[in-house]
Amino acid sequence: MENQRTVADGIRLGLRALVYAVLGGAALLAIGTVVSVLGPMLALDLYTPPVAAWWTVFTAITVQGVPFLLLGTVVSAAIGAFVPERVFQRLLPRRTALAVPVAGAAGVVLPGCECASVPVAGSLMRRGVAPAAALAFLLSAPAINPVVLVATSVAFPGQPEMVLGRLVASLATAVAMGWLWARFGREEWLRPPKRPTAHEPGGGPRAFVSGLQHDFLHAGGFLVVGAAAAATFDIVVPTSLLEVFTGSAWLSVLLLAVLAVVLCVCSEADAFVAASLSGFSPTARLAFMVVGPMVDLKLIALQTGTFGRAFALRFSSVTWLVAVASSVLVGWWLL
Amino acid sequence: MRRYGPAVLLALVGAAILRVSLFSDLYLRYVQVGLRPYLVVSGVVLVLLAVVVAVLVRTAGEQEDPEVLEDPENPDSHPGHTHGPAGPRVAWFLTLPALALLLFPPPALGSYSADREADRRAARGVGTFPALPAGNPLDLTLGDFGSRAVYDTGRSLKGRTVRLTGFVTRDAGGTWYITRLLVSCCAADATTAKAEVRGAGAPPVDTWVTVTGTWHPEGEPGSDAAWPPVLDATSVRRVPQPDNPYEKR
Repeated sequence: MENQRTVADGIRLGLRALVYAVLGGAALLAIGTVVSVLGPMLALDLYTPPVAAWWTVFTAITVQGVPFLLLGTVVSAAIGAFVPERVFQRLLPRRTALAVPVAGAAGVVLPGCECASVPVAGSLMRRGVAPAAALAFLLSAPAINPVVLVATSVAFPGQPEMVLGRLVASLATAVAMGWLWARFGREEWLRPPKRPTAHEPGGGPRAFVSGLQHDFLHAGGFLVVGAAAAATFDIVVPTSLLEVFTGSAWLSVLLLAVLAVVLCVCSEADAFVAASLSGFSPTARLAFMVVGPMVDLKLIALQTGTFGRAFALRFSSVTWLVAVASSVLVGWWLL
Repeated sequence: MRRYGPAVLLALVGAAILRVSLFSDLYLRYVQVGLRPYLVVSGVVLVLLAVVVAVLVRTAGEQEDPEVLEDPENPDSHPGHTHGPAGPRVAWFLTLPALALLLFPPPALGSYSADREADRRAARGVGTFPALPAGNPLDLTLGDFGSRAVYDTGRSLKGRTVRLTGFVTRDAGGTWYITRLLVSCCAADATTAKAEVRGAGAPPVDTWVTVTGTWHPEGEPGSDAAWPPVLDATSVRRVPQPDNPYEKR
């Protein structure tokens, strides 16, 4: 009996595999044929220069983001699976008011751009870190890590005050936002990041893998949405519009702060873009570099995915205001 | 089958990244040379992760516990975070860039983007530049040619025959330029470097050419008259698009 059953099972499995292979193969063939015939025809009609440029910018932002996003999700999944909660309780001061600046300064250690910091901040919150401290880390990490500061000094040769200004203004913004959240933030705005809990609370390799795949896919989807928005702005907004506003110091600060939001330039590259915006005052360019790593379309999409829309909209708009104010103050003081 | 959705997505993204970074130089259309090792590592990690996830789903299926990789919470409690057996739904947007890279890799940016870019030049003071290396003709990047032509008070380009490679753009007046896009991180931050070519007929727009010639000084260094730099061409040769269509800024 046993033997017969295994044989029958084997045959059934083989048949099922055959059916899947035939059906799947036929479907792939059909798709392949349609795409290869229709593709070039459609390409001629739809692949105008702006559309082609849109696709290139869109894929470029996504490709650029994938390694950093993966780094961020590996770190965050490792924190979730292997680092016990009490580690953070020991590392960070008990009082939130003190934990915020410590977490902000700790941003120095994550050598990535902003795509990496969102999942890490999410997993810090899951691990019992006070949201205010995790948010200060979220804002400071992409702006003040060594890679970004070195890039800034390369982009502005002979102007160390630009690097210092960036460091001071970014850190001040991150800490101010942490304190603001501790004082005025409401728990219900923040939907604490959830994820499959089936393997927890045990943690370990299985939790690591399931956390990693979930976080990467989830954040990756939002990265794509953000990249599409950024590519659309890149193609739709004429750059010549910029030159109109270079006259007024106040307008130019606001304009570059808005530009930082829509362009979504990676924080490791934004110094070079800022350096090329030659018509603008140093303070306006500082604002571009302070706002960019903290608020942009791609980040708003990623934060919406991780913390919910109610949070992302409120948090990003206040961060924008604080970042502009702090760059103006630091610019007035240093530049 | 739907439970394999996340594994398929991960494999798709990993394959797309490997296709442009490991199996070809296509990544140069989108990002800088330096990112290649990170792209290759990411691609490999994603493919391995896909395999592990698939194995986990399979063993979970044998234990007849189909919920094991899913969110046991009420999915409606978390907007934008809806889970089916196929994982987070928003993740399916990843198929868009992945399939684009696998099937029709988007082309490098060209004259369309260069034309949109306002004529901006990197802010820097005039000064002297290090001496140019030997070579006749001397191969220069358009970025280097431009900054020496416009900002060098030592006039290091004077009397040198140089060779520049870029694509053709034209302005409304019929002047043509040899143009190259400068990228520091990814194609989204591209800026333009160009030189006006005199003494040769214009090839069609977007053709890649190598122009040999000498610098034609105009105006004082750093002044508006010095921009864009001018090249008196002695020869214009059509070339295939280089592996790296951009110059490093």
